[in-house]
Amino acid sequence: MNFEAKLQEAVSSASEMLDKEKFINKLTAARYAQALKRSQAISGCLAMVVVLVVGILGYNELDQGAILIEGSYYFSTSINFDQDEDSEYFDDLALYIMEQEEDIWMAFSFLDEIEYDKIVNLMEDES
Amino acid sequence: MKTDRELIQEFQRGSDAAFNELVRRYLDLVYHFFQKITPDKMEAEDLAQTVFIKLFKALKKFRFESEFNTYLYRVNINTANTYFKRNKWRNMLHLDQVPDPGYVETSQERQWRKEEVWAAVSQLPKKQRLVVMMRISQALPFKDIGNILNMTEGTAKVNYHYGIKRVKSLLGNNK
Repeated sequence: MNFEAKLQEAVSSASEMLDKEKFINKLTAARYAQALKRSQAISGCLAMVVVLVVGILGYNELDQGAILIEGSYYFSTSINFDQDEDSEYFDDLALYIMEQEEDIWMAFSFLDEIEYDKIVNLMEDES
Repeated sequence: MKTDRELIQEFQRGSDAAFNELVRRYLDLVYHFFQKITPDKMEAEDLAQTVFIKLFKALKKFRFESEFNTYLYRVNINTANTYFKRNKWRNMLHLDQVPDPGYVETSQERQWRKEEVWAAVSQLPKKQRLVVMMRISQALPFKDIGNILNMTEGTAKVNYHYGIKRVKSLLGNNK
């Protein structure tokens, strides 16, 4: 017997048959399992991309106004408050102080001290 | 009875039943191929399943440039090649294993085990490995092997010559 025939004999095996219908059922299940895994992987990747995009956008939003000067970060003060609402609030607060304070000159000097010009001007006009 | 071509065309139009018919037709051939590659029946079944899963994906784009039989052999051989690569280190360990001293030889000439033969084959360079694998598992003529592996008959013969020489030296040719 030559070498090739000996090798062929060594690898030969008794031919057994598989149950074809059982095999097809297993194959179908395996195909569905693979498809499910693939769709899960795709949705996982998409979710990661969304998180990344939201993260980058959020970071960019937070980063606005930060200025690096000599190694330190400073934040710009150019934040737009609602000017009308604020001035109304400060006016009310100033009037409240004027009314509540027994010594009007103390209140006046306090407002002068915090440079609240509106009331100071009003007082000066009245006097 | 429908031809392979008709079944593939039906499958390409969306019929899973046509694919299942192809599986019924070729399961024995594929399973027997892997029975020769591995002594483990479960592993042979898993490898056969891998082949049909690959076919399920690939046949959707099959353009009938080669015979389905030839294509199936290629898928078989590539799957076996991947299997050998995956088990290369394990196979190499098998080669170095000392035979069980309690084992009594029944014949004067020691029989090689399937694992030993494939462990030696798995150490060959790719082309030699594929040719030797086809020749000893399927006993195909070199012309067919060349056709399946996209090489000339002469190249297949040369690769086989060098491959088998190396297998002989790895197995010690003690027969």
